[in-house]
Amino acid sequence: MKRSYSLILFFLLLFWCLGIFIEWLIKIDAHFVFALPYLQKTYSLVCHQDKSKLLFLDGAGTLTCARCTGIYLGLFVSSVLVLFKIPGWQLNIKILLIASVPMIIDVLLTTLNIYFYSKLIAFFTGLLLGSVGFFYLYNGLNNLILEYKR
Amino acid sequence: MKKYYAAIICGFGAGVLQIVPFVKSFSCCMILPLAAFVSLLLDQRATKNFDKIPMKKALLFGLFTGLFAALFGSVFEILITLITKHNDVIASFTDLQSIVHNLPLSEEIKKEVLNIFQSVREDILKNGFSVLYTFSVIVNNFIINSIFGSVGGLVGAQIINSRLTNQSNGR
Repeated sequence: MKRSYSLILFFLLLFWCLGIFIEWLIKIDAHFVFALPYLQKTYSLVCHQDKSKLLFLDGAGTLTCARCTGIYLGLFVSSVLVLFKIPGWQLNIKILLIASVPMIIDVLLTTLNIYFYSKLIAFFTGLLLGSVGFFYLYNGLNNLILEYKR
Repeated sequence: MKKYYAAIICGFGAGVLQIVPFVKSFSCCMILPLAAFVSLLLDQRATKNFDKIPMKKALLFGLFTGLFAALFGSVFEILITLITKHNDVIASFTDLQSIVHNLPLSEEIKKEVLNIFQSVREDILKNGFSVLYTFSVIVNNFIINSIFGSVGGLVGAQIINSRLTNQSNGR
């Protein structure tokens, strides 16, 4: 994939991740507050936004839960990596399935009340899936571009 | 149109899961990508075509699943608001008030933001309809759902295709 496509992907993910941290951004520029209600609605489509599962720092919270924040930050981190080194390897789908196992186990065990929900575990299991999942999205887009070029 | 029955069914399911109260609390970022993945599986079964899925087709199925989810989701949300005169804007108003009050903003900006939100809230409580709210629901649903659906289609097709590759390698 051309670097320009990787850059577009990077910026899309950057803006998406910045949206999650809008309450932090409001402290930098107060005008972001006008976007807050709209963004709350936007992220409610892709996350339950359960207040007890949001990440808080200095009184400002994320707009998605710890797990979703981890997934999106994972996607973003991998999009940064791809800017420096374009992967040339063939992806095995088993890696994606293995990366999703910790998250699935955590969801199951917390739902069954075997242990209490931990924001840290939720965040890192999401981060793992997101960072690995990005390469499959990247690969899919790459194949799509190749199909259109044929 | 017949070609996209699977996308319509899965889009409907995802749209409902995103909107219906209580069920909505289970929603997460995986719903739409999963719906797009299931729509590809359903289409394979319906057409009995188990060949490798081209990415163009995967993208189209994901996109259509997202668009149908957005369509059904928007219609349901607007209808539920119209009938019940209640929605998450009204439910989250006190939360928004406390968030805005806790932020280090000038009183003028705080007042302006809350006034906009208050006018939307009043419209919904009085008529069950607000132009600003309806517009934001439609724009949000169509943009977000089509992106997440497309992502699900592209990743889902790779999962399905890898299964086919494993089967052919095993023979």
